[in-house]
Amino acid sequence: MDRQRDVRPIFAAEDPVRTSPESGDAVPILEMRNIGKSFDATQALDDVSLALYPGEIHALLGENGAGKSTLIKIITGVHQPDRGEIVFAGQVVAIHNAAEAQRLGIAAIYQEPLLFPDLNVAENIFINHQDRGQVVGWGRMFREAEALLAELGVALDVRRLARGLTLAAQQTVEIAKATSLKVRVLILDEPTASLSAHEVEQLFKLVLGLRSQGVAVLFVSHRIEEVFQIADKVTVFRDGRRISTRPRSETSSQRSITEMVGRETGLLQPRPPVPQGELLLSVRGLSRAGVFEDVNFDLHRGEVLGFGGLIGAGRTDVGLALFGIEPATAGTIILNGKRAAINSPREGMRLGIAYASEDRRQLGLSLPMSISANISLPVLVRYLNRVGLVRTSLEKATAETFRKRLAIRTPSVDLAVAKLSGGNQQKVMLSKWLNTRPSVMILDEPTRGIDVGAKAEVHNMICELAAEGVGIILISSDLPEVLAMSDRVLVMREGRQTAILNRNEANQESVMRAAMGQTSDRPAEGAST
Amino acid sequence: MNWLQRRVRPEQIRELSLLLLIILAVTIFGSLIPYYYTSRTFDRIAESVTIIGIVGIGQTLVVLTRNIDLSVGSIVGFTAYFIGALIAGNNGINPLAAILLAIAMGAVMGAINGVLVAWARVPSIIVTLGTLAIYRGMLVDLSGARTVTSDSLPGWLLNLARVNLLTIGMVRIGALFTIALSMVVIFQIGTTYLRAGRCIYAIGSNPDAALLIGLPFRRLVFLVFVISGALSGLAGFVMLARFGNITVEAGRGLELEVVAAVVVGGVNIFGGSGSVVGATLGAVMLGILEQSLLRLQISEFWRDALLGLLILLAVASDAVILQRLRTLWGRAELKVAPGMPPPVPETEKGVTNP
Amino acid sequence: MIALGRLKSWEGLLLAILVVVVAMNVMRSPYYLGIDNVVNLFQLSIEKIIVALTMTMIIVSGEIDLSVASIMGLAAVLLGCLFKAGIPMPAAILIALLSGLAAGLFNGFWVAQAGLPSLAVTLAGLIGYRGLARVFIQDHSIGGFPVWFNTIGQQRTVGPLTISIMIFFILFVIVAVTLHGSGLGRLVYAIGNNTQAARYAGVRVKLIKLCLFGASGLVAALAGILYGARLGSVRGDIATGFELDIITMVLLGGVSIFGGSGNIIGVGLSILVILNLRNGMGLANITGDTQTSVVGALLILSVLVPNLMHTLKTKWKERKT
Repeated sequence: MDRQRDVRPIFAAEDPVRTSPESGDAVPILEMRNIGKSFDATQALDDVSLALYPGEIHALLGENGAGKSTLIKIITGVHQPDRGEIVFAGQVVAIHNAAEAQRLGIAAIYQEPLLFPDLNVAENIFINHQDRGQVVGWGRMFREAEALLAELGVALDVRRLARGLTLAAQQTVEIAKATSLKVRVLILDEPTASLSAHEVEQLFKLVLGLRSQGVAVLFVSHRIEEVFQIADKVTVFRDGRRISTRPRSETSSQRSITEMVGRETGLLQPRPPVPQGELLLSVRGLSRAGVFEDVNFDLHRGEVLGFGGLIGAGRTDVGLALFGIEPATAGTIILNGKRAAINSPREGMRLGIAYASEDRRQLGLSLPMSISANISLPVLVRYLNRVGLVRTSLEKATAETFRKRLAIRTPSVDLAVAKLSGGNQQKVMLSKWLNTRPSVMILDEPTRGIDVGAKAEVHNMICELAAEGVGIILISSDLPEVLAMSDRVLVMREGRQTAILNRNEANQESVMRAAMGQTSDRPAEGAST
Repeated sequence: MNWLQRRVRPEQIRELSLLLLIILAVTIFGSLIPYYYTSRTFDRIAESVTIIGIVGIGQTLVVLTRNIDLSVGSIVGFTAYFIGALIAGNNGINPLAAILLAIAMGAVMGAINGVLVAWARVPSIIVTLGTLAIYRGMLVDLSGARTVTSDSLPGWLLNLARVNLLTIGMVRIGALFTIALSMVVIFQIGTTYLRAGRCIYAIGSNPDAALLIGLPFRRLVFLVFVISGALSGLAGFVMLARFGNITVEAGRGLELEVVAAVVVGGVNIFGGSGSVVGATLGAVMLGILEQSLLRLQISEFWRDALLGLLILLAVASDAVILQRLRTLWGRAELKVAPGMPPPVPETEKGVTNP
Repeated sequence: MIALGRLKSWEGLLLAILVVVVAMNVMRSPYYLGIDNVVNLFQLSIEKIIVALTMTMIIVSGEIDLSVASIMGLAAVLLGCLFKAGIPMPAAILIALLSGLAAGLFNGFWVAQAGLPSLAVTLAGLIGYRGLARVFIQDHSIGGFPVWFNTIGQQRTVGPLTISIMIFFILFVIVAVTLHGSGLGRLVYAIGNNTQAARYAGVRVKLIKLCLFGASGLVAALAGILYGARLGSVRGDIATGFELDIITMVLLGGVSIFGGSGNIIGVGLSILVILNLRNGMGLANITGDTQTSVVGALLILSVLVPNLMHTLKTKWKERKT
């Protein structure tokens, strides 16, 4: 994967700012008015309004969890807003599913394209064309597909199967698909994440071409430099709210970053610094082919090492490697002075490592099972009597202990976990891993999607754990949380480690800069001093 | 090699190698068995391939959508018997009407399967395991356990099996064989050139995307079961013409041979890849093996043992190939067991992460 | 107790159906509830219900085993062939049991280790093991087993109960305790619920699935041997088609085909329902194939009805909001 790239501007810096063709009295093709949407206890979007104009590239910036993908899902019909309305070409519409969105002329291209691997490229492009009749004219289809791709300036063998195409090629096919359907609103959700510089240039050429055809483009990206190359307007989201919308000329990358991260600080008490304990875990040159590369850090007893970075930076993958679910392919892990090869979760647990997954519903919990059953699962042997039967009273007692310790709100520990709120589910999952009595605890997004009260309780738990001498790796997209809790912050970007910041170096801006690859005068740091 | 990788589908390579294997097998058997290259051999092989081949077409379509149809054996027996009884009772019946009736009968039984799988969302393994029993029970009940005998059948029907339309050297192409061959051609063309046919591949290839994009998912799944039933009905007619004597046991166990032929023929049990031609080649291969082993006086009972082993090998090797291709493809795909309904799309379940 | 909770609506429904079926049968024959008939009731399908117990565990773990009937046949046939070849009965029985275990482990290897879909693997097994059985026995029939062997299947030894029935009840208790009280049972439910999450929790998914398939094969072999003892002779097509009843008994008992839910009480009730249904149909002179078609309908209904109820429930919930 080619990650080194110079970002070359596509047009000269003195180019006049391109505003939308008819500014001022223009009619937006798609308008979101006062959209509100919440999931469980989280308000994903709060009174958000956004207007997309034909022939305009509108960039959407924001941290993880700022609400960008929720908005996109509402536009493409995956979710319905709780409040507010959507106006398309002057008409109020309700978009219930993807087919309806498509009928309106809305298309979205994600980081992971939705193609059919067993069909060839041309078929993938035209698969959903209702107006082509019942008979497939292969010759015609190939020719038209080639023409379409040529128009986009791409060379791709339309006869080959979609299986085995590179990600960049897949995205090109998706764009061709959208173009063939006469798209009016094109949404690009993080399309450049895994592309090389050359591929990004190609993609931008396509997008500019679409813009000149009058397509409204909503462009979500974390690559600030790229955004400022191509966008006409820049909107910044933060915590589910729209903070600002400005033409590109009236803003800058620095200003946008500030708007993205700026929030009232002081709500979170920073964790009091604790004297550093002995070396617990030492990681050198850890890599997993194609996923992450050359991760180096030390973890001490009682230390909280925050992992900062954007979604997809590879932090979870490092956690999975340390726990043995997706083992590393290179590098060394030294635990308590001994080299360790961790190839399965059982090995990880045996070495005293615990990993609390970011996806508590799919990976972290067994929803139909009871709270006590979930808590005991990884160490079930502890609860078996001599004949192998489960000592449910002992199990229950353990569950009760954790219930008190983490303040899990439930009428009974025999209740199925599915019935709990998000925050309490999270606490059950954390209890499960605390129960394994780890010496290294990897927490992946431990406060995602839970209410403020539960969040505070989880933070307390982290402080207590650290005080007991457990080494904690805190993977989180919640910057204030990372900054308040961590003794040091390791930042990753696209599978590489870009910085390890000490307490006094780490602030929102420095972390974001390292996470987004902004050139700074501070070189990336290796292992801690 | 690269050109080959890009232009030719993996399943076409599979089918090509199967064809080569068939030629190899015939050569080997020809050298071991006296009087192998005779019309008699061809007839025998054609006999079993005809029926299994016709049913195999329908099964291919079903498997392509990541489903399975185990009721085909009962449908074949049912139609063979009742069309036979009908013809026996009305010797003057129009031949075309009889064929169409058989097809319609099968189509209705397939439609019942289709409704349960496509709309009631009952996994196809459950539905067709149940209808396998239900249709067989209906056959036994309604027939009174009598037998359709060939002397009660009119000449034209029995002649269908004997008449030769074309003779090329030793190869005698009869009417029934022609029916089977034309079905294979029609459906191969259909799955290649009809949009509905391509959508069937899409459904099996990526059910999530198919649902999200808005392809006519349920309608097509329903359709493939109707087709499977209809073709089983046709095969029932062919069985009637071929054998004349039909008992209530007709077609029992046929579904297993058909699934074996389809899987050996390179149709992926997870759906999305494979072809009608491939399944037919699979049927040919199995037919050759069966007949040749018989001639070599290897116990016919080895057939089933061999069949089971072949299915296992075919599925295992396809899985290995698929695994290699999937790692190239890059992302982890949600694995859904075949015969089960696809996962519920995001629009129908709550998502907690904004 | 794991997964038992209170007696939920499905078990209540089964109980109601059972009462209705038994009532109808009693009306037809006054001796229906007599001890003789009850024993007979069990005896007629005793081998199937034994296999249904291990099938329950397999389906709870999220897999399926279509090859059980063929393993029954294979074991029975092996027993007969070995006996005919002069091998002493106890040794023959042991070898037949081991063959079932081997077949089960073979299935388990492809499913657990190679990751192939259990539907395809056990379908191949259904065909293959039956074929193997036929290879051994051709189209002969082997009988003339020693008297003590036939006694196992036919005679009442413990009071009115035969040894087969004893074995069933013992196995029932074992499976009940394992599934609902033991650590292994807990793990099986976890695997069926969410295999990924179980893996993330360090559960040895592959090993457990391998063991389950091995047990399924072993118990199927045992059932096959008992069947041979009851019939007094074995043939190549012995126990053909049994998998339908066995799977129906499990699914009708409220065990979800997708795994992770269901309990042994439900399966016990559905076994009683199907036994009484078959017995009643037999009394009404309904033929075997027709009886089987009724079981087939029950199989479909056992998944269809919960599906419909679920759809209705969600539609009703939507209407409320």
